[in-house]
Amino acid sequence: MDSSLNIDQNTLSPAATIPKRDRKTLAYQDFAQGLSQWRIWLLLAYQDIKLRYRRSILGPFWITLSMAITVYSMGFLYAHLFKIDMRQYYPFLVAGMLAWSLISTVIIELTDTFIVYDGLIKQIKLPYSLYIHRVAARNIIIFFHNLLVMIPVLVIFHDSIKVNFYTLLLIPNLLLIYINIFTFGMILAIIGARYRDISQIIKSLIQVAFFVTPVMWNPIVLPLQYQKMIHLNPFYIFVELLRAPLIGAPNSLSIIAIALFITVIGTSICALMFARYRGRIIYWL
Amino acid sequence: MAIIDIRNVSVEFPVYNLSARSFKKRFIRMATGGAVVEDAHQHVVVNALKDITLTARDGDRIGLVGHNGSGKSTFLRLLSKIYEPTTGDIHIDGNISPLLDIMQGIEAEFTGYENIITRGTVLGLSRKQIDDRVQDITEFSGLGDYLSMPIRTYSSGMRVRLAFAISTSIKPDILLIDEVFGAGDANFMDKARTRMITLLQQSSIVVMATHSDELIREFCNKVLLLDGGHIKYFGDVEEAMKLYRGEK
Repeated sequence: MDSSLNIDQNTLSPAATIPKRDRKTLAYQDFAQGLSQWRIWLLLAYQDIKLRYRRSILGPFWITLSMAITVYSMGFLYAHLFKIDMRQYYPFLVAGMLAWSLISTVIIELTDTFIVYDGLIKQIKLPYSLYIHRVAARNIIIFFHNLLVMIPVLVIFHDSIKVNFYTLLLIPNLLLIYINIFTFGMILAIIGARYRDISQIIKSLIQVAFFVTPVMWNPIVLPLQYQKMIHLNPFYIFVELLRAPLIGAPNSLSIIAIALFITVIGTSICALMFARYRGRIIYWL
Repeated sequence: MAIIDIRNVSVEFPVYNLSARSFKKRFIRMATGGAVVEDAHQHVVVNALKDITLTARDGDRIGLVGHNGSGKSTFLRLLSKIYEPTTGDIHIDGNISPLLDIMQGIEAEFTGYENIITRGTVLGLSRKQIDDRVQDITEFSGLGDYLSMPIRTYSSGMRVRLAFAISTSIKPDILLIDEVFGAGDANFMDKARTRMITLLQQSSIVVMATHSDELIREFCNKVLLLDGGHIKYFGDVEEAMKLYRGEK
């Protein structure tokens, strides 16, 4: 019965020992391959959107339309409820809602990444980071569809908001946000795969976060001593990174500094966690 | 030059959702043949593969046999680099094509062509390589104009034909097969068989899990007999089949 094992020993493999690749290298390779296989995740992201709106006449522009209906009606309602000047409030709300919908949706969806794609993960070896990119890219594409909602606002309220140099900052800010989506998305996806309650917790937290984050209300209504406290809310930081360029306003230096700080923290935690748990993810699915 | 080199590899699955442990523990042991133990964190752990050591080189055609739950699929996924060993070392050289669950990832709302593109891209082909293969896939699957229709309009046989045609259009160094013979109707099965044989001949190393003795006797020069996650026998085909069938 054991004769087979003897055969093996006679023809022992060329390399006497298998070169060990440590966790850090493997994690790094996953990140690198995830980036280099951008064709795969971009195609999958694009197909996710195509699939969602297949057989509808407007197609992906339902994203734009439903967003338009929501924010335009919210704008009217709250401007009247709060008795605020429409010309200031309307663009603020619309831009803020665009930012918020990107950030909130991407967080919720990323937490479930590995759970949703477990079929594919168990069938073919692709880098784990590729799935994070897929969800992130999908939401960025949706964000670009949503951006069209800003155009009528820019036209109607042309005297209170402008397209200017600051609008261009949308591009670097989006890049910074993408990095954070990736790093925090990876962290959440790993935890979400291991502890299935996390995605429910995240969903409830996001709802609360919507009200404590200045999206519907402007932070200037707060008393001065509380205005600084808002900076402790990371959602505010990232909403502001998108909202300010959209309404042609500059980002304050403190916002940018905090955003960079969060990026460094997130990247470190993400790298450590991914190196530590990458090999385990598959066993949690 | 393809090579598979596995040293003392074990694969353990943590099972997190066992509430009534003692009862389920017994049940799982009965049903799977895999030993169920608890790890340091009090999680129930299934030992799917235990202390596997083997080497495969160019020209090896390995038939993988064993009862249900003996670790065949886990072993194939280990070779596909999907599962990483809990302990031990693994080294695989050469690009791998796993034909494990070919229907996975076929999207019903998309047309045949769209599925070819998606699938091809996921398997690592460039757009040009995919375009080169479309003709071959169309011909082989015999789906013709159906390829521009959504998959949901296909019969189940047609779906299998498409999935099979796409998955087998890639020429890997290492081919891993999990019971993919027997697709479609009798006519297609003949074609599928011919194509599989070509693919088998073109690959450097083949590992094939199957319950068909004829296939193993026809194609394999070695058999790996798994039992409860252990290697029970690795080597000569006839010897292995005798062991495998004899114990039944």
